[in-house]
Amino acid sequence: MSEDRDEFEREVAALLQDPQWQGHPLQHALQALNARYDERGAMMARLTRIADRYQLAERERGLSFVQRYERQLRQLEKIIRISDQYQQMLRELNEELQRTASHDLLTGLFNRRYLYDRLGEELGKAARGHGQFALAMADVDLFKQINDSYGHDIGDAALCHVARQLAAPLREYDLCGRWGGEEFLLLFPGGDLEAAQQGIQRIRQRLQDEPFVHDGRVCPLTLSFGVTEYRQGESTTAILKRVDEALYRAKHAGRDCLECA
Amino acid sequence: MTFFAYNQPASRPQTSTAAADLQREGISMQDLNIIATTSSPAIATDWNEGRVILAGDSYPENAFELFQPLLDWVSAYLAQAGQPLRLELSLLYLNTSSIRIMMDLFDQLEVAHQAGKSVRLQWFYDARNERVADLAEEFREDCTFPFDIIAEERA
Repeated sequence: MSEDRDEFEREVAALLQDPQWQGHPLQHALQALNARYDERGAMMARLTRIADRYQLAERERGLSFVQRYERQLRQLEKIIRISDQYQQMLRELNEELQRTASHDLLTGLFNRRYLYDRLGEELGKAARGHGQFALAMADVDLFKQINDSYGHDIGDAALCHVARQLAAPLREYDLCGRWGGEEFLLLFPGGDLEAAQQGIQRIRQRLQDEPFVHDGRVCPLTLSFGVTEYRQGESTTAILKRVDEALYRAKHAGRDCLECA
Repeated sequence: MTFFAYNQPASRPQTSTAAADLQREGISMQDLNIIATTSSPAIATDWNEGRVILAGDSYPENAFELFQPLLDWVSAYLAQAGQPLRLELSLLYLNTSSIRIMMDLFDQLEVAHQAGKSVRLQWFYDARNERVADLAEEFREDCTFPFDIIAEERA
């Protein structure tokens, strides 16, 4: 197209230059028309240049938007990532707090506070006629002697050993915790005296099979138990008092035994 | 807000405008000394020493309101002080908007560093809590200025 036009433009230019047409009215008109044509062409070229520049600017603006968007997206992703980590940190801290609120630091068993709450719950359920439960209190025999002859560190290790042997043979829904000192409480939800005695028998057997070993020497450890079951309408204090008394009788009966109440 | 002296009305709501005014007047900004609360860290600055200290937990209700004076202080310092700036952070927990502000703050330091100014950051953490170090690492990722993560042994 442009070559054709160039060819044509050359033809027109030649005609305008041709002496034989000088002074002819059509030569004059063609000259004026050609001048106008040049003017329009220049204007068109200018318009195109402006439009191109404008288009380029828009394109660059779009690109910078994309860049900014991508930068902000990266920043946002980083904030979210860091924020998630902080949340995770808080969650772990919270779990740790919950654990220390309900567990004994030394043995890792439930602590007295948690056991007391659970005992209250079981008592409430039983009082409303939803089942039965049994309770046992265990005490390490002659624990003071272990502490006195080996020191408190070994005493603590002995308690941890006992705690493991107490917890291992229990059923999933039975509870076991450190009541204080060398005393442990066992709660058998849904169980009666018979069930509790069977559980305790398994514990005593296990303690025989897996004795506490210190410095390569077996240190025989035994437990005395008091066991009782829930009686309709009684309070937490009443059942705790009865199980404690049973334990006391077991101690007086020569230790390493079980007394029911 | 009483961080700005030099005849600025104490109740002036736009701290950033106040900062801009000071900047125009070429006057160094008054140092910040904001006491820590249970939900916001201690914020202290020292123009002469070129030092910023942030210490504590940060989950304020309005983080932008709390930190704007600090962002203003740092940008004024970097623009005018002509001497090194050191940030000492002992931050433990940061909520999401505080994280955002720290990133803005570090961006300011990065820009200054790229412009050849001397800036450095020290992030102190309790040696028993390695998670804080991991988080500081995340922050450090895009920073090229000196950024040290330092364990502190506590008794």
